Amino acid sequence: MNQENGSALTETVRLLCRTPGGPRFGDVLVVGGGISGIQASLDLASAGFKVYLIDRGPAIGGRMAQLDKTFPTNDCSM
Amino acid sequence: MENLADYQEIVDLIRANGGEAFKRCFQCGLCDAVCPWNRFRAFSMRRIVREAAFGLTDIESEDLWRCTTCGRCPAQCPRDVRQIDSGTALRRIATEYGVFPPTARPVRGVRGSLMAEGNPLNEPRRKRADWAEGLGVPAFAEGMEFLYFPGCYLCYDPRLKKVARATAAVLQAAGVAFGILGERENCCGESIRKAGDEEAFKRLARENIKAFIDHGVRKILVSSPHCYHTFKNEYPEFKAAFEVVHIAQLLPGLLAAGRLAFGDGRARTVAFHDPCYLGRHNGIFAEPRAVLSRLPGIRTVEMAETQADSLCCGGGGGRIWMETPRGERFADLRLTQAIEAGAEVLVTACPYCIANFEDSRLTLGLAEKIEIRDLTELVQEAL
Amino acid sequence: MDRVAGEAGDFTVTLLRKPRYVLEEKCTGCTTCVEYCPALCPDAFNQGLSQSKAIHIHYAQAIPLIAYIDDSCLYLKERKCRICEAVCKNRAIDFRQKPETLAVNVGAVILAPGFEPYDPRESGRYGYGRLANVVTSMDFERLMCATGPTEGEIRRPSDGRPPRRIAWVQCVGSRRVTPGENRYCSAVCCTYTQKQVILTKDHDPEAACTIFHNDVRSFGKDFERFCERAARLPDVRFIRSYVSIVGETAGSNVVVRYATASEGVREEEFDLVVLSVGMKPPAEAARLAERFGIALDPSGFCRVDPAHPLQTSRPGVFVSGAFAGPMDIPESVFAASGAGARCGELLSRRRGRLARERVFPPEKDVAAEEPRVGVFVCHCGANIGRVVDVPATVEYARGLPHVVYAQEQLFSCATNCAKEITAIAREKGLNRLVVAACSPRTLEPLFRDTLREAGLNPYFFEMANIREHCSWVHSLEKDAATRKARDIVRMSVARASRLEPLKEFTLPVHKAALVLGGGVAGMTCALSIAAQGHLVHLVERGEDLGGLARRLHTSLDGMDIPARVRDLAERVYANPRIRVYTRARVVSAEGYIGNFLTRIASDRGESEIRHGATVIATGADLYRPAEYRYGQDGRVLTLLELEEAIARGEERVLGAGRTVMIQCVGCRNAERTYCSRICCSAAVKNARRLKELNPAMDVCILYRDMMTYGFREEAYREAAERGVRFIRFEPERPPRVEAVAEGGASVLRVVVDDPVLGRTLAMDAGVLALAAAVVPAADAPEIAGLFKVALGPDGFFKEAHVKLRPVEFATDGVFLCGQAHYPKHLPETIKQAYGAAGRVAALLANDTVVASGAVCEVLERRCIGCGSCIAACTYGAIRISETKAGPKAAVNPVLCKGDGLCNAKCPTGAIVLKHFTDEELASQIDAAADAAASETLNRKAG
Repeated sequence: MNQENGSALTETVRLLCRTPGGPRFGDVLVVGGGISGIQASLDLASAGFKVYLIDRGPAIGGRMAQLDKTFPTNDCSM
Repeated sequence: MENLADYQEIVDLIRANGGEAFKRCFQCGLCDAVCPWNRFRAFSMRRIVREAAFGLTDIESEDLWRCTTCGRCPAQCPRDVRQIDSGTALRRIATEYGVFPPTARPVRGVRGSLMAEGNPLNEPRRKRADWAEGLGVPAFAEGMEFLYFPGCYLCYDPRLKKVARATAAVLQAAGVAFGILGERENCCGESIRKAGDEEAFKRLARENIKAFIDHGVRKILVSSPHCYHTFKNEYPEFKAAFEVVHIAQLLPGLLAAGRLAFGDGRARTVAFHDPCYLGRHNGIFAEPRAVLSRLPGIRTVEMAETQADSLCCGGGGGRIWMETPRGERFADLRLTQAIEAGAEVLVTACPYCIANFEDSRLTLGLAEKIEIRDLTELVQEAL
Repeated sequence: MDRVAGEAGDFTVTLLRKPRYVLEEKCTGCTTCVEYCPALCPDAFNQGLSQSKAIHIHYAQAIPLIAYIDDSCLYLKERKCRICEAVCKNRAIDFRQKPETLAVNVGAVILAPGFEPYDPRESGRYGYGRLANVVTSMDFERLMCATGPTEGEIRRPSDGRPPRRIAWVQCVGSRRVTPGENRYCSAVCCTYTQKQVILTKDHDPEAACTIFHNDVRSFGKDFERFCERAARLPDVRFIRSYVSIVGETAGSNVVVRYATASEGVREEEFDLVVLSVGMKPPAEAARLAERFGIALDPSGFCRVDPAHPLQTSRPGVFVSGAFAGPMDIPESVFAASGAGARCGELLSRRRGRLARERVFPPEKDVAAEEPRVGVFVCHCGANIGRVVDVPATVEYARGLPHVVYAQEQLFSCATNCAKEITAIAREKGLNRLVVAACSPRTLEPLFRDTLREAGLNPYFFEMANIREHCSWVHSLEKDAATRKARDIVRMSVARASRLEPLKEFTLPVHKAALVLGGGVAGMTCALSIAAQGHLVHLVERGEDLGGLARRLHTSLDGMDIPARVRDLAERVYANPRIRVYTRARVVSAEGYIGNFLTRIASDRGESEIRHGATVIATGADLYRPAEYRYGQDGRVLTLLELEEAIARGEERVLGAGRTVMIQCVGCRNAERTYCSRICCSAAVKNARRLKELNPAMDVCILYRDMMTYGFREEAYREAAERGVRFIRFEPERPPRVEAVAEGGASVLRVVVDDPVLGRTLAMDAGVLALAAAVVPAADAPEIAGLFKVALGPDGFFKEAHVKLRPVEFATDGVFLCGQAHYPKHLPETIKQAYGAAGRVAALLANDTVVASGAVCEVLERRCIGCGSCIAACTYGAIRISETKAGPKAAVNPVLCKGDGLCNAKCPTGAIVLKHFTDEELASQIDAAADAAASETLNRKAG
């Protein structure tokens, strides 16, 4: 995104923010509930955004949950 | 200590001869790990590649002539070093300089024979169609479906002539319209090219192409995977494209269409050996097995290394013309594998393989234990 | 995910929710249904190595921890069975559930679908799926894991025997141009393999481990040291050869053939072969790309611009994690924070309008009550239960003073167990809680919340570490370990009984950030924080912004670095929310999270800055080589100097007949046990550039292991394609460089032994470029001291947690990014800078922060004002203040980290650490020493 484009976008968003949203109106959709998706969701939530975290599986955790322990401390992956 | 500056010319020479891909190697050693030679003696393709990349190739070395072009290392090479093309470049240089170590010396005689008589076996050109005597095989004429191109070994070698005759019999039984070129047929040139004689290959190819065009040939039926490979993949370099069919590809259709009638057949256990140039080089694995599955009395078993992992007979890359000492013959190991798998008959579809297997069968004293057949022979026996 | 409409700031995404056939609010995760379910199916979580049921819980610690029914269900397939419905006491099964469509309106999207492990069946060449004892590294993770199919005993699939000879095959599906495999390097396999080797040796010290590789890529922080640790273990071999998997023996051992330069081809048998599989784009990549209208790169990962590595081709849609290409966990984590920052930039105005706080019940006053301790003993799957007799420990705990309740749990950290603890605490009127499980480091905060849920002060909690301190270190002495577990639990119960309720502090947050370092990392971070609505003070020690990147000109991924740096600097200067201080020096730094006070001397004079967050982005320096005639011969340059000379078009460089590069100069040695990560790519980049400008030039790169990880592998291959020659050398036999007089001229000769050729090669170099190590910045120790943060063993700044907190320090409110953390490529630096900005914004978005109650306190009556405590405190948390009774020490509770060093120094015992008072600790020690009591109780417990 170049600079100009960016500020145009920010303006659009500013306008949108003034209009009230419906009951399903959220801020960010995070697709994927692995370590990266979870971290992004946590950060956004603590920064004050509403987050929808979706995953195609029945539980979050992703690939990292399948690992036994992790480099370099061999901590549990959970 | 070698100063790179002193070897730059050789690097350039190798590149000019088609060894460009040597430079891609990152020395993972996989070529050595998969090379059949290392089952018999130390041989390092990686070293050949590395030496070539720095121009440190010993042009008189025996190792240059060892590769049978079986295709196992290029099929797995993570860097696409194209060991066959690159290795051929080194042989070209040796050929150009006339440097042949003892093992490779027969290649010179082969070249003479090819140039004079159109075959590597020092046989007269006029006898090229003798195998067909009394079989009623016509000369190819326009309008026939197939030109049958038996190739040098099937035309002259006493053992392999049987394969040519079996092929004719099967084709006739199925009512396939085919003819042959006889004296106008030349060696396909595949193996002399791999042995580094590009000039001889080009001459043979041009003459064959001319003969095909003169006779209005469109579809060529071959018995040798080597002929198949060069017609299909190398002749297009001369802007000549013909439809090429290996007999193993034709047979399943004939069987499926019910064009061949079989008797009860003798109960036999057979193993199919995938010739390098049929299988690995051209991906034809299923067809010969489909044929075997339809033959009466035949039970098939698979050997230890099959299909893409098939063990080379040792005859490719011009090795068919060179002497391989006992203890280093791939075919000996292959026969052992066939017997271990419980096969009574080792079936294949390549004249080099048959020649090498028959040789091993006799020298190892296994005549009682196993028989060698071409696929077509097995079909003919079942008629 | 079904449809996406709209644009950045206003997307409408239609989601399709698949039915679980289990009511989330009713299922308790009791797994009775799983026991009775007759339909077996391969357990995908265990890589199909074990069986699961059609109704099951995804894995033991799954969130949410409730059952679901998959396609193998007999009722869903054939309309019969419904046993689960009959056995569920809570009536949680609901077969009437239908797929549900819901539309959500969002301002931005982050795509984090991860990756797919490579399936070796795609190439058909590794025997996977055909030979029983060939497994993938993902399978092996499950085989090692306590919750895996073999309950943490490594057993091979064919016969369940523990394998003794194990081989790892590297680069399976990676670094290969062969059909069905991938050209790029997957970047994580070398290190995870070393981890697996170390863990395997933990399981079975007798195991012989062999790693077959072609380059060990130890390019990350601490990788090299980790690799050496693995290599030093007995019976561990690293063999430089790819292998051919030949077949199996009658006993199902796997036969492998490999080639070494010294010994030629060898055939060897292994009990188990682990294929170190690489990463592929996620299975749904193409569908996501189509739905979201984003571009993929040729290998199928999300396409990103290296200058904007978190952005897809569609505005408002960001990417994090391995969807953007192979990356490890830390990078996935900071990329996630970075993607969050990018969303925050876009949506900063909407912040705080939709979020909801977690509400806890009011806290009960239990001061007057007798201690009523509840003890929960965790099996940790098999991690503890395999060694320690958990039921006996529970039984023992029941007999301890003040204990009114005790029970065992499979995973105390699982959602259902935490809920159970809360429920029991209420039901039994517990007022103290002991969880006997693992280290408090990770899970203490979780259990403190569990107490809050039960209406208790969170400090009424004690963790008894019977895993790290017991089952892991005494795995061979089960009885003794169980006795020790009892001792530990007894001590914890004693302490818990004396714990006091503590108050946490709420601190206001000063909504500004201080960013130290005006390089690409600092500028990117500052711009992002500013775009998220906060004031930034950007402090640069040099005369101008840009840092080390100002000396860079080209990059492997085609970034125009000078233009990028110019653009960043212009935007920084133009941004009204960013104040830049050049030629600046930090004079002093004090304060704490939310409230820092830093004094700066700069071109602007002396300034006093108040800020809520600090970012350390001070970059790194370059090693000045003492080797290879550098500084003695003008033809010897560093790689960076070569790059500058190329950019200037210097004829002596562009016209050289041969350029030689030597890698690993000043690192990967005894003095610096780390790889500088960027130099191999820099060498390849400059070699490629030289070949472009002067195709006739011979370029030789002398290396140890090519660290061209990820997509950089393509550039390595392209360089070889262009004729660049790569010569590997062994560290024991490094290249020799000498100036030789020849034909009246001085020739710079580089001599090296080629291990494959077994010959010595000499090359006369017109230019010799040395890949000089990236070293910690000279002022790193000073800055670390000022901001009370730590440096790692290599001298780079040390993050709070390698994997989970990669851009923050253990000191709250201080963050880091860029090469101050470790050498890295620009796109990685940019990602990490956004990551730090995301974490900073998450802090500054709040009006207040909470500080721990476990801090020191001065009993003024006893204090003699001697000041010994002040000297002991590394956080500057103690001051002397004048009182009516004379000078007395006073602790600033928000600065205090609760390390208790001052306690030990105080001659009068006037300073105490709350939560670790003498009484609390003494009770614990008494309990430990109370051997007689322990014996009696042990006998009683049986």
